[in-house]
Amino acid sequence: MPELSAITSAFGDALTLHSIGIIFGGVLLGYLVGVIPGLNRSVAIAIAIPLTFYMSAYAAIAFLIGLSKGTAAGSAVSAILLNTPGEPSSAATCLDGYPMAKSGQPRKALKIGLLASVIGDLLSTLLLIVVVIPFASIALKFGPYELAAILIFALVFIAGMAGGSFLKGMAAGGMGVILGTVGLDPETGAMRFTFGYAELMEGVPILPLVIGTLALSEMFVQLDEYRRTKGGNSVRLGNNPDDDLSFSEFKKTLPTIFKSTGVGAFVGALPGLGPSVGSFMSYGLAKRGAKDPDSFGKGNPNGIAAAEAADNAVIPASYIPLFGLGIPGSVSAALLVGAFMIHGIQVGPLMLRDHPQMLFTLFAGMVIASLVMLAIGWYGLRLFAKVTDVPQHIVIPVVIFLCLAGIQVQGYGTFGLLVVFGFAIFGYFLKKFDYSFVTFLVAFIVTPMLEMNLRQSVILSGGDIGILLQRPIALFFVIATGLMVLHLMWSSYRLYRQRRRLLSS
Amino acid sequence: MKNTRLHTALLAAALTVGVGTAQADDFPSKPLTLVVGFGAGGSTDIQARVLANVLEEELGQPVNVVNQPGAGGGVALTRLTNSQDEGYTFAFGTSMTITYGPLATETAYQPDDFRYVAGVTLGQSAIVTGEGRPFGDSWESLIEYARENPGTSYATQTALDRMIIEYISQQEELDLRIVPTSGGAGMAPLILSGDVDFAYSGGTHSGYAESGEMPVLLSLAEDRLVAFPEAPTLREAGYDINPAEIRVVMVPQNTPDSHVERLAVALEAATQDERFIEITEERILMPVVYLPEEEVTETLRSQTESYKALLEELGGVPDADE
Repeated sequence: MPELSAITSAFGDALTLHSIGIIFGGVLLGYLVGVIPGLNRSVAIAIAIPLTFYMSAYAAIAFLIGLSKGTAAGSAVSAILLNTPGEPSSAATCLDGYPMAKSGQPRKALKIGLLASVIGDLLSTLLLIVVVIPFASIALKFGPYELAAILIFALVFIAGMAGGSFLKGMAAGGMGVILGTVGLDPETGAMRFTFGYAELMEGVPILPLVIGTLALSEMFVQLDEYRRTKGGNSVRLGNNPDDDLSFSEFKKTLPTIFKSTGVGAFVGALPGLGPSVGSFMSYGLAKRGAKDPDSFGKGNPNGIAAAEAADNAVIPASYIPLFGLGIPGSVSAALLVGAFMIHGIQVGPLMLRDHPQMLFTLFAGMVIASLVMLAIGWYGLRLFAKVTDVPQHIVIPVVIFLCLAGIQVQGYGTFGLLVVFGFAIFGYFLKKFDYSFVTFLVAFIVTPMLEMNLRQSVILSGGDIGILLQRPIALFFVIATGLMVLHLMWSSYRLYRQRRRLLSS
Repeated sequence: MKNTRLHTALLAAALTVGVGTAQADDFPSKPLTLVVGFGAGGSTDIQARVLANVLEEELGQPVNVVNQPGAGGGVALTRLTNSQDEGYTFAFGTSMTITYGPLATETAYQPDDFRYVAGVTLGQSAIVTGEGRPFGDSWESLIEYARENPGTSYATQTALDRMIIEYISQQEELDLRIVPTSGGAGMAPLILSGDVDFAYSGGTHSGYAESGEMPVLLSLAEDRLVAFPEAPTLREAGYDINPAEIRVVMVPQNTPDSHVERLAVALEAATQDERFIEITEERILMPVVYLPEEEVTETLRSQTESYKALLEELGGVPDADE
């Protein structure tokens, strides 16, 4: 266990003016991104990574985490005022937020959303800190067998849970794995899938891949939609004296907030589910558990609180597998792995041993980010209400410019531009045909680690599968993976039969 | 009048000379790029960043560090061969990439493609093991143990250490399981957890010198290691190989002499700079030296020759599938 002095000095480092400034910048930017419909979290992180090249590793990661948290809170604003979620995960917030705003209480709705966001985020961050340290100290003892088994398990789990069909999820994961093997073979040094490009020797460059598949392709999708819908008008913040949140009203939502934070943290800790699942699940639970379920959907404050607390709780909780095992369970966590790699740090349990100071400072920074979020949201209420009106025809070109500029900053040159556009088209079709994005990205990121550990396991054991009997943890995950594949296949088969029956009847 | 003309003439002459020297001494007149062939955060990178800071002051121009990892430093060198930058782009790397890389794989560069401005550090790579192993921490008993236990495992990181271990296992008639791993960060957990019996280490072991968690079996440097004086060198253990690693600064062959000289002067000053000495000798625990261009070039050439001879004896580059 870390010493108390390490923790206090970590807080000291995180409380410097420079550090708070960086976090403030990250949260503010994230909040804006969250508020602007059409700009989402992964787009923002992807184009912000190049911005962080010139920061220290700590500042860069703190900035990106702040940004990621800010988006989850900011997205409530457009959900409430515009009935358009700023992030897909705030769709559940629209259900009660927009009716409440329409009925003349936009400020109250916004404040409930903000407080639920901040509490969900803060509690989940504290949970992360408490859980991850013992978790990582166990994970440190894992060898190649355990890591290979856990990585395969995580990939299959994400493919099955990330929504859509299991086969499509596996296909998306498979594409990620194939792209992840591009470059030099770690053992023989042979070139794989490089097609004579020296640039591909070190693998598909992560930044063009991420910016292409996440950010640029998203802009293509948005353009597509923009041709059809031109966006609505947002509810204005009036000067209605009734329109404010009283403490007793806030107190009534607290039980919902706590319950929803629990749901969100649980969903977040499991790889692949993501914030949308968390917020809808907790909204459903709140509605079912309420005394007056009929009032949900008509402006019930508990509906807003449930959706927002869970949405925000997912983000810090999704870093548990990231810091504990080095496995990213969400798109934003996968992007963080990329950012860590660029700054030369291998994220995962080794951080606890090699960079403990940095890890604790990051945690301290995350707590500070929650509080900064409250301040920004509270005092920026009016400003952010205005930002919801920023039209798409301004947002889209700016983002496209930032995407391409980001590639140039990193010095990939024309090769980078080719890769970006190639992946933008690829990502566009992934989205159109509903292939799981998270699975693809996580598979791409973990493939080098998976390949290395798998090869080490095979060589060390001399190819003898009986080694698993001496490795109970690895054995457990291998069996769990097998059972999960059977279960997922069986349930997709049942779904397929049901559909056929529906069609034929 | 005459006087004025003389003055003008003198002034003109002075200006010409001034411009002339300015052109020669102009280098560097814009920011420079220091290419590192390894990822950020590794020991080469840590050292390169301090070196860049020191050179910045010596040269009076910003020196930007760019990481181009891949192929054990080979990717960066491939790009450097095509550079027409006249010394504004230079690389900091390890001798192995130059001497063994082109022998082991088909590289787009050859040792003659570069000028080796100076060697600034001597590597301390080693063959290491973990604590509490049945063979203890001596090379001889490891060999004995490995003979009795076929399937004793070794973790390799580079093509060169793979060749050396193949050579040793041929000499000693061992049957080893050789697993790949990447960098010290990949090797350390394997050794510390006991999953692997012994391993190559570029410099990670130096960080464990005090705790004793990673004893050194053999020194892969020319002499015994500074931090582990008990461990014999390869030669002392009876293998005629000198894989001593030198960390060198290199530029493309087409770089003008004056630019190379200017860089060499700055590098010699850098090897006497306290910050560079501190990061090298205290943090990554390698001795700082200054080896001028001729000496480094000669050493690298003789290493290449000895590897060639070794490969002939082995009958080709060891294949991973064996």
